[in-house]
Amino acid sequence: MLKQPYPTVMKPYGRALVDLARKRPEILCLTGDLTRQTEIDLFQEQIPERFVHGGMAEANMISMAGALARRGFLPFVHTFGVFATRRPLDQIINSVAYPNLPVRIVGFMPGVSSPGGPSHQAIDDVALMRAVPNMTVVDLADATQIRAALPSIADIPGPVYLRLKRGEIPVIFDDDHEFSLTKAETLIEGTDLAVIASGMMLSSAISAADTLAAAGVSASVVNVPVIKPLDADSIISAVSGVSAVITAENHSVIGGLGSAVAEAMAEAAVAVPLRRIGLRDTFAEGSRTASHLFRKYRLGTQDIVDTAWELLRREGQPPQVQAAEAAG
Amino acid sequence: MTAVDALTMARYADVIRLRAVRMVAPHGFGYLGQALSSAELFATLYSRHYDPGRDSLVVSPGHYIIAAFAAAPEAGLLDEEALATYGFDDSALEAIGTERSPAVDLTGGSLGMGLSGAAGLALADRLQGRSDARVFAVVSDGELEEGQVWEAALFAAHNRLGSLIVLLDANDSQVDGPVSSITTLEPIAAKWESFGWAAFDVDGHDTAAIDEALTAATADTRPAVVIGRTSTKHGLSVLPEGADGHFIKLPAPLAEAAIKELEARLA
Repeated sequence: MLKQPYPTVMKPYGRALVDLARKRPEILCLTGDLTRQTEIDLFQEQIPERFVHGGMAEANMISMAGALARRGFLPFVHTFGVFATRRPLDQIINSVAYPNLPVRIVGFMPGVSSPGGPSHQAIDDVALMRAVPNMTVVDLADATQIRAALPSIADIPGPVYLRLKRGEIPVIFDDDHEFSLTKAETLIEGTDLAVIASGMMLSSAISAADTLAAAGVSASVVNVPVIKPLDADSIISAVSGVSAVITAENHSVIGGLGSAVAEAMAEAAVAVPLRRIGLRDTFAEGSRTASHLFRKYRLGTQDIVDTAWELLRREGQPPQVQAAEAAG
Repeated sequence: MTAVDALTMARYADVIRLRAVRMVAPHGFGYLGQALSSAELFATLYSRHYDPGRDSLVVSPGHYIIAAFAAAPEAGLLDEEALATYGFDDSALEAIGTERSPAVDLTGGSLGMGLSGAAGLALADRLQGRSDARVFAVVSDGELEEGQVWEAALFAAHNRLGSLIVLLDANDSQVDGPVSSITTLEPIAAKWESFGWAAFDVDGHDTAAIDEALTAATADTRPAVVIGRTSTKHGLSVLPEGADGHFIKLPAPLAEAAIKELEARLA
């Protein structure tokens, strides 16, 4: 694992998809009028014969992708996460998930990372996709993991919702990082607190753990790239020895990672206090910049630290996150 | 088409009706109207155009799966005995089409999705080099109220999916009443034409007219739609005047009378 501040790269997904498609002739690339924004301009340029413009017609695009998968293709469908999951939900269910077809729905710009306001914020996509039988739900925001994960994701026999950050992607993991679709990974071991994070919140969770460590709180950090099926065993093991648990997700606290962890803990009868960091059943307005929304809706690193401090009943003011790390 | 062919297809349509009555009868109600309106469309398609070994068949409104099942034995797609299980617990022949429905390539109960699936199959045929394959999609007029149908129509025309042929059962029937009383769809043919499709507007109970339209649709390089003007009561005079075409009630005495009428005509 690298140290903060992380280097960033542009469009790791787009490059990784082209590389994979060179080896896998059954891969098709579909776009819903967001080609450059979903990093697949490279695919369009390099493999045009397997590139399909669906236009601004997500319902048709998803049902078509299902039919293409019936004929042996591996369609990767691209748009923003919000348009990928809300409008064509019935099509995802009936044309893809119920027939259990290997369509990969790739939704960019998760949660409040969008500058586009509530219409563009995928704050319920994980919840919607989790509720759909047969669907695998993956949330990634690290360049190394995106590249490492893509071949495994391609091999999943059923449908996948892949949630990706748009634009600059941090490099958190070393090149030799091994990605697992079945294991949640404890990145930092701790004894007081477990912070369980997915996607864009992973770097914040790591920062929070560092800040807390300096203040004498030993926090573990668990990365959960695959929210469904959830690796409940690893989660339960990670939360069993600590005094408090915090989940961190760039999503509504209803139905996403926090809910999944809560369900797993409740079913395993793990009686540890839990707090979910995420959007608290609200739409997020005022979005000129993502960092503003992360602060405004309490999704920042400091919010994880403050929550931990309160949950562990520590005395005095919580430690303050260094300014360079506070934004994200 | 010869007079003998026309007679054969008309009989085939009545065989579809008779089987559909027998499938619905044990339950006392069901999607009989869909089979009555589309019987000639299926009979003509299966007799003279659809080759299951080469082509794909999509039944977009899953409620029409009864007609596909009833037509399937002649095409070698289903044993006639299996029809007796239609609509019973755990039968693969569920009343509204599912993934387990035999005899079709694609169907579904959430309406308006089938044409997109058909476009996907036609695109797959092109990408995989099956230049002689065609995709037939049965679509209902009520489905035209779903926006997705028009998304698919735009896509198919823009991408010149000429192997795609829609059989549109314009029976003017939906759950709340006549389609024309709920939403004005006319002019249906002009709508498709303006979307870049070839459109053929015919009497959907006239097998010769359907056959001619399907032949022209196949020859046309554009995606094509054959609009069959039909009735959910056609070919069964014993049905009461006010029968609900979407979901016909068929108590035992009526079922008996219906079977008698159709058997007499087929004798």
